[in-house]
Amino acid sequence: MGRRLSTEPVTTAVSEGRTAGAPATLTAAGVAKSYGTLRVLAQIDVSVAPGEVVAVLGPSGCGKSTLLRVLAGLEPPDRGRVEIGGQPVRGPSPDRPMVVQGATLFPWLTLRANLEWGPKALGNRQAGAIVDELLEATGLSGSADLLPRQLSGGMRQRAAIAQVLANQPPLLLLDEPFGALDAQTRLRMQEWLIGLLAERRTATLLVTHDVEEALLLGHRLLRLSHRPATVLEELALDLPSPRGRSTLSDPRFVHLKGDVLTRVLDA
Amino acid sequence: MALREVEGGAGLDLGEVLGPSSEIATRRRLSGWRRAVVGLALPAVLLTAWSVLSATGILSGRLLPAPADLARSFRDFVVAPQREAVPGVVPFRGAAAEHIRASVGLWTGAYVIALCVGLPLGLALGLSRWTAAAVDPLFQALRSVPITAWLPIGLVWFGLGSGAGRFLVFVGAVSPIVVATADSTARVPRQLVDTARMLGTRPRDLARRVYLPAALPGIVTGLRLGLTLGWTTVIVGELTGVSRGLGAMMFAAREVSRLDQIIVGMATFAIIGLTGDILLRAASRPLTRWADA
Ligand SMILES: Nc1ncnc2c1ncn2[C@@H]1O[C@H](COP(=O)(O)OP(=O)(O)OP(=O)(O)O)[C@@H](O)[C@H]1O
Ligand SMILES: [Mg+2]
Repeated sequence: MGRRLSTEPVTTAVSEGRTAGAPATLTAAGVAKSYGTLRVLAQIDVSVAPGEVVAVLGPSGCGKSTLLRVLAGLEPPDRGRVEIGGQPVRGPSPDRPMVVQGATLFPWLTLRANLEWGPKALGNRQAGAIVDELLEATGLSGSADLLPRQLSGGMRQRAAIAQVLANQPPLLLLDEPFGALDAQTRLRMQEWLIGLLAERRTATLLVTHDVEEALLLGHRLLRLSHRPATVLEELALDLPSPRGRSTLSDPRFVHLKGDVLTRVLDA
Repeated sequence: MALREVEGGAGLDLGEVLGPSSEIATRRRLSGWRRAVVGLALPAVLLTAWSVLSATGILSGRLLPAPADLARSFRDFVVAPQREAVPGVVPFRGAAAEHIRASVGLWTGAYVIALCVGLPLGLALGLSRWTAAAVDPLFQALRSVPITAWLPIGLVWFGLGSGAGRFLVFVGAVSPIVVATADSTARVPRQLVDTARMLGTRPRDLARRVYLPAALPGIVTGLRLGLTLGWTTVIVGELTGVSRGLGAMMFAAREVSRLDQIIVGMATFAIIGLTGDILLRAASRPLTRWADA
């Protein structure tokens, strides 16, 4: 067994614009969003409790990224409300960062400087220590001084997740984090992410169009319709933990996957 | 978990598991000396042809002096002992340092002002739709006025002398700086800005921490264009009655039909402009290397 990393956060970053204290539930109710005349989100209700991983499954172009942008506070909803612990979301915050589709790192900075960005922006003195720990946890210690373009796609993807985790957010919004990777690499990354999220008890809303990924990572599944998106169904996924490659052959997983896939294809 | 097992257990580098970095495409550049040889080949061929045409008399010295004659004039310009200064006469022999100092002084002085005005204005235009909407039409209209057309008004405003010259060089240098800065700032990917905000960057720090570095490769292109355009405007700036400067020397040479001296002036312009561009590029390279293909 590899060395287990401490589950204790190195430090708790508190600074202006951050809500210190207990992690809170994210709630979105009746969220609707259009771009001009294009109705993207019709009516979305979703909540993520502390430590929970909610998978949102939906066809391409249905508005998954749009939903995440609204939840992250990057764009206001046309209707409905988005709240964290009862407080309305008004703009982006390091407490609920979103890792964008296609993983954005600052291309002019080394990997280490990219990961240090968040803690330094919040005036966290432990930036160096936090980043060392994250580099280790992501298996990227050897590449700390490389520029993003010198990393492989999978490394970039992990780096982008590590970048926002450096602020130790209670809630993480992930937009198809492993969509562009080959199947084996994706499975490795999924196992890595499952371990990381469990260790840090980070609540996560994971958007994907991959049924297997949704079932493997989610504690709960929300299935969205085609555009304009509504929630078609909600499923509790009580598969045994810890999940990983063995889960894929679990009869309950196989059955569930067939079930969901049929409904996705029939939709 | 399993991932970390693999790493911890076998001491495997993830880079190897996920694909070797050697596969990352990097476009090859010609090495320094190779580029120099290739770059000098064409001028060398032309120079040889020119010498042959002049020596055989096919090319009249009245149209284009022979390379050897030009070399002699150039040497006179640079190293010959200076004659006593005569008021109202623009010197040539041994006067290179004097003229170059005047022209380069005009150039750099105006360029620094162009930087101080152009960078903030370009950033403001690229960052704020309101500023762009308010300023852009006027700026584009002014930009369409030919640089030489600014000469008369420059003379009225600043009188004869280097003030008007500096104004003209400023006009020449500032617009590429503004256009390139505004354009590359406006093109900074939204995702970079969003990511910075979600990492806790304060909105007022975004210009300095995100927009400026992300736009820098494009800005540097504008700085180079502005530097060169400013330099080519120096000669217009020296139509303002100054008695020192490469342009002043060339106009004086034209009055007495010294084609060799005119060409020496052109060559000096070329050498100094090229040197300036090389220096600026070298100075900016460490800042923009990340964007190299
Ligand atoms: N800024 C925008 N302006 C106009 N239309 C937009 C904008 N962003 C997204 N859209 C449109 O909204 C719809 C939903 O886009 P979105 O990116 O949210 O889909 P998605 O579910 O994330 O798709 P994918 O699975 O392919 O990533 C698309 O039709 C898209 O064209
Ligand atoms: Mg998307």
